[in-house]
Amino acid sequence: MNYDIYSHFPVLAVMLYFVGAFIVTLIGKRRTARNIVAGAVMLISLALLLALVGPVMLDGEIITYWMGDWEPAAGYAIGIAIEVDALSLFFGLLAAIAVALAGFYSFKYITQDDANGPFFTLFLMLSGGVMGILLSGDLFNIYVMLEVMTFAAVGLTAFRTWNPNAREAAFKYLVVGSIGSSCILLGIALVYAQCHTLNLAQISAILPGNLNPTTILAFALLFAGFGCKSFMFPFQPIAADAHGAAPSSVSVLISGVFTKTGVYGIIRVSYFLFRTMGLTSIQTMVVFIGCLSMFVCVTMALNQHDFKRLLAFHSISQIGYILTALGLCTGIGIAGGLYHAINHTLFKGLLFLVAGSVLYGTGTTYLEKLGGLARKMPQTAALFMIGALSISGIPPFNGFASKWMIYQATFEKAAETGSIGYALVTVVCVVTSVLTLASFVKVGQSVFFGQLPLEYENVRETPLSMRIPMWIMAALCVITGLFPEQMIQYVIGPASAAVLNVPAYIDSAMGAGYAALTMADYSYLAEPVISFIGFWDPVSWLVLFAIVMCAITLASLMGKRSRGAVTLADDERHAVFFGGEAAEYSHVAGADLFWGFKHNLRGYLGFMSRAHSGVTNDYVIWGVCALAVITAYCFIFI
Amino acid sequence: MYLVYILIFPGLLFSTVFGLYLAGIDRKVVARMQKRTGPPVLQPAYDFFKLLGKETIVPGGAARRTFLIAPYIGLASLIVTVLFIPIGGLQAFGGMADMVVILYLITIPSLAMIFGGSASASPYAGVGVSRSMVAIMAYELPLILVLLAVGKAAGVNAVTFSLEQVTLYQQFFGSFLFDWRLIPAALAMLLVIPCEVGAHPFDVGEAETEICEGPLVEYSGAPLAVFKLSHAVKMFVMTALFTALFLGGISTGMLWLDVVIAIVICTVVTLLCMTLLHAVTARLKVEQMFKFFWTVVSGLALVSLLLVWFVN
Repeated sequence: MNYDIYSHFPVLAVMLYFVGAFIVTLIGKRRTARNIVAGAVMLISLALLLALVGPVMLDGEIITYWMGDWEPAAGYAIGIAIEVDALSLFFGLLAAIAVALAGFYSFKYITQDDANGPFFTLFLMLSGGVMGILLSGDLFNIYVMLEVMTFAAVGLTAFRTWNPNAREAAFKYLVVGSIGSSCILLGIALVYAQCHTLNLAQISAILPGNLNPTTILAFALLFAGFGCKSFMFPFQPIAADAHGAAPSSVSVLISGVFTKTGVYGIIRVSYFLFRTMGLTSIQTMVVFIGCLSMFVCVTMALNQHDFKRLLAFHSISQIGYILTALGLCTGIGIAGGLYHAINHTLFKGLLFLVAGSVLYGTGTTYLEKLGGLARKMPQTAALFMIGALSISGIPPFNGFASKWMIYQATFEKAAETGSIGYALVTVVCVVTSVLTLASFVKVGQSVFFGQLPLEYENVRETPLSMRIPMWIMAALCVITGLFPEQMIQYVIGPASAAVLNVPAYIDSAMGAGYAALTMADYSYLAEPVISFIGFWDPVSWLVLFAIVMCAITLASLMGKRSRGAVTLADDERHAVFFGGEAAEYSHVAGADLFWGFKHNLRGYLGFMSRAHSGVTNDYVIWGVCALAVITAYCFIFI
Repeated sequence: MYLVYILIFPGLLFSTVFGLYLAGIDRKVVARMQKRTGPPVLQPAYDFFKLLGKETIVPGGAARRTFLIAPYIGLASLIVTVLFIPIGGLQAFGGMADMVVILYLITIPSLAMIFGGSASASPYAGVGVSRSMVAIMAYELPLILVLLAVGKAAGVNAVTFSLEQVTLYQQFFGSFLFDWRLIPAALAMLLVIPCEVGAHPFDVGEAETEICEGPLVEYSGAPLAVFKLSHAVKMFVMTALFTALFLGGISTGMLWLDVVIAIVICTVVTLLCMTLLHAVTARLKVEQMFKFFWTVVSGLALVSLLLVWFVN
């Protein structure tokens, strides 16, 4: 082992968050000291994970670390393992980056709240829980970390205790989240009863060949449980409440990181533990759930009146893309899904932070009350545009690069299987994308453009310490969008290869040759090849765009003499046109937009609005029904 | 050579001149159909230069930078899009962008107009923004269905998104317009073009008589000239896309002749789907238009997709 020193890094990365959480509590009210500790913890963890990129991502090493040196004995893994392959590291890095940026943003952001003492304790507990799930190689350990994460998230959702919505959201979250947790616990118990081990690698070796009713039930429970954690359809209303009520920097974590642990869990369960993703029926189920999440949530988002609730629904809509892509079980599908996972964390993080800045500046995120903020907060508006264009998949930003891969993946799958259903999935993806664009046009028109209400005349630009994390996220959005080839080569490629390379994962934990000895079916679920059926070269596009832009500028400079003057009017005479009437405040915003669309789909939209009743009991019924349907489906079709 | 492509043909110079010429023809022929004399064919070009010389007034309360930059971004991205569409077998920049990318690239100019209008803070523009966005939502569904149908037909044993392969396939096996399975898709595409361009009867976003050109209401001078120019170039881009998708198989062996034929076809398509419709129809309401596109037009495109999928 050349990488001995590295093998301690993952466990340190997890531990540091928890140690940090306790130190922050001890420090109490001294804000500077608290910020220094929290910042240091987040940066060191990020650095530790970045140091692993070399060996794990580029050299393909899988790091296995046995806690307390309890290595497997007599063919059974008793001790708790930390196992980091490219997939774990991929999600881990994503989490660490989002945590660090959201954390630095929070330093200033939460100063408006009076009781901000426990914030960083819970924040770091949440981060530690997430990191624990992503890096762990032990099923029960994952469950424990999941609980830590969920309870920290519930606490943070209710952080603004003066806000009754926040308390209600936290309660809903607690109740529905516990459905997911109990499913996972029961699933783990069944798996343990069948396999007599909790080590992920060993289960992956033993279980796939031995599917019996017990393990099928376990699969259904685990799938539904992790699905609940990723807020897939029909668990999405909880996400909307929780994201809407939590402080923005926490929404970044819930949307960008927390939901990703659910996706990660689904990958581990269906590609590794049970290897059921190879079955057509399970692929159909995952793609179907993905499409439903995508479409239902985007139409719900179009209906929202609150900036953050709107973002929350979009968050689940994007998770729908990721699930759809992963459910295809092809090389390009997995790569597209993972790519979209990165992009989602970045642009959705950016947008939540923008929403936080709007709240910080104006005290509200209600779309109908805002307007014209681009004049007062030009940089925030620019950041919003970058985020909005990214999530709507406008080239050359990052959302386009990954969505484009997903379109190809679904269409190729359609050709491969001869089933036109997958071609219709492509259509759903594209329509969802344009509806996403529409709802961000709505936000732009309602919040940043249009007329400025009198009460926001004195709003000031977001403080620098909050802008810096946002600019970093925006820069990452642009970079990940401009260099898809490099992203695929160095980041996505290794991670998506790791999803398919189960034997290597098993051998790393249980010793070389174990997989060949135990596994019934040694082959890959799909070829780890990323094949394109089209072209997209963002850098060339950008160069061409720049040349054309220069040419237009030159042409207009040469024609300077014949060109009219530019008058920047601010007087009464040059106010906007009102058809000859006296000017008055009239801002077309929020619910007034897209009437033609809403009118045609009024039946569907009305039904959906009524279905999202806000009553916890209803949502629990949805969850239980989903569990029942998934279980029945698994029993019938596996 | 690349600079020639970018700046002269089929890039900046040609696409703007030809776009203005198409707009002029359109106006002239509509006038003749309605028994008017109509403006000279060069009228859009005269308008353009006249507007350049006019004063630009940025209204108070507008987000100034967005308001002033938006038209230029829209025009530039349109002209870059032209470079990716094969015109009569001549492809300026191959291997850079496929059909789906083009589908997204052509929304950028519309978006530029939406955000530009939005930045003007006018309530008329607000209504226009809302309507333009509904128009985008309306045509996107049939357009992707058309593209998938063509992509399936052109992929020999698989599927493709590549416009080059679509052109090549047609050169070997004949144009798609004469493939009966794809005729509904071609019809759908002919209806998508006026909606994307914002021409009658689908010009809900810029309805002059109702909302004073919507997003453009506060624009004047050079930015307005650029928007008008973008509108003209868009006519060229969309008709060229139609030609590449459905009439890409015309090949005489001489590249320049192919290009000329393609350009003539662009003019004919413009006359067919924009001028004719403009002359004989009145503007639809927003909800009528949306319904029409998501039912009739999408239905046509879907029929083609099903035929291509199941009938060999």
